[in-house]
Amino acid sequence: MNAPVLAGDSITLALGGKPILEAAYVDAVRGAITALVGRSGAGKTTFFKVLVGQRRPARGQVRWRGERIARPSLPLLAREGLFYHPERPWLARHLTFVDHMALCGKRDWARVAEVLGITGWVRQKVGSLSGGELRLTELAFGFALQPAVALLDEPFRGLEPLHREQVAQALRSLAHDGAAVLYADHDVESVQRTADRLFSMEGGATRLVEGFRERPLHEWYHAWPSLK
Amino acid sequence: MDTTGGRERTKIQTHVSLSLWLRSALFHTYLRRFILLWIAGKIANAVTARAIHLPPFGFRPGTEIVTLAFELGVIVIFIKRSNEDILLGNLGMRLPAAIAPLAIVHLVLSATLAVLAR
Repeated sequence: MNAPVLAGDSITLALGGKPILEAAYVDAVRGAITALVGRSGAGKTTFFKVLVGQRRPARGQVRWRGERIARPSLPLLAREGLFYHPERPWLARHLTFVDHMALCGKRDWARVAEVLGITGWVRQKVGSLSGGELRLTELAFGFALQPAVALLDEPFRGLEPLHREQVAQALRSLAHDGAAVLYADHDVESVQRTADRLFSMEGGATRLVEGFRERPLHEWYHAWPSLK
Repeated sequence: MDTTGGRERTKIQTHVSLSLWLRSALFHTYLRRFILLWIAGKIANAVTARAIHLPPFGFRPGTEIVTLAFELGVIVIFIKRSNEDILLGNLGMRLPAAIAPLAIVHLVLSATLAVLAR
C-alpha cells in the first residue's frame, strides 16, 4: 500500500465540553478510495474540518506527505493539491459552472462534466439547480481541478441511484489517475461497492476495517442500526 | 477524466493569478457590493461631517480606515454566509488576499471624490 498523502493522527477534540474525537486516525493513500463510515454525529465532519484547519484539535496532528503541518488551512492544502467538499453548498449561487471554471482558468472540464452528467446545466446559475444537481456540479468543479487528494464529506447524499453511480465512477477514475480519495458516508452498501479501504468511526475513535467487502450487510446493520 | 497515467500528482493544476482573479465574475460581484457599501458609507460620513462643519467629502485618513474596515467586514460576512470562503479556499486563495484589492478601490474612490469636491 502507498504511503499516506494526507493523515489526521491521534486527533482529540471536544466541543462545549463534550468529547467528539478521541485519538482518531484516518489517512488517505494515493490511488485508493478510502471511506470513513459512522453514524450521523459520530464526528466524521468534525474530523474533516480538523484536516482542513477549520477546527483546532486539543491533541494530534495533520500530516501531508508525511510532514506535520503546524497550522493546516484549506488554501494552504489546496495549493498542495487538496480538494475539499463539505456537506453544505459552497459554490457561488449567482454564477454558472462555466463561470466557476473560468475562475481558475480551466478549459478542459468537458470530460468531467460528461462523466458526472452535468452537461445539461453547465450554463445555468448554480442557485437555480436542485440539491442533487448542485452536489454533482460541486463535485465536477473539484474533480476538474485534478486534485492529488479529494476530501469529500457525504458526496452521495441526496443523489438518485443513477447519479450515485456516476459519482462512484468519477471517484474510481480519480483514484485510477493517482489521486487519494477520502470520503465520509453512512451507507454501507455504497461503501462496499465503491471503497478500497474503510475506516469506521464510533464514539469519536476510529479503526481500519479489514475485509469489509465480505462482511454481510446484516452484520453492519446489527452493529450500527442507524446505518442504512 | 484525464490523465496523468497514474503518476503521482504533486500540485493542484490550477493557480489563480491576480489578473485572473480581478477579471473574474466572482470578484466583480464583490466589487459591485463593495461600491454600494462605499456609497452608503460616504453618504453617512458626509452627513456627519456636515453636522460638525467639516467638508462632507474630505479625505480624513482615520475616518477612511474605520469605514474601510466596516465595508470589508460586511463583505467577509457575505462571503462566509454563502460558504464562498470554501470556494476560494479550494482555489488556494486566502480570504484576505481575495478582498485586498477592494481596499485599493476604496482609497482611490475616496481620494478622487475628495479632489472633485474641492
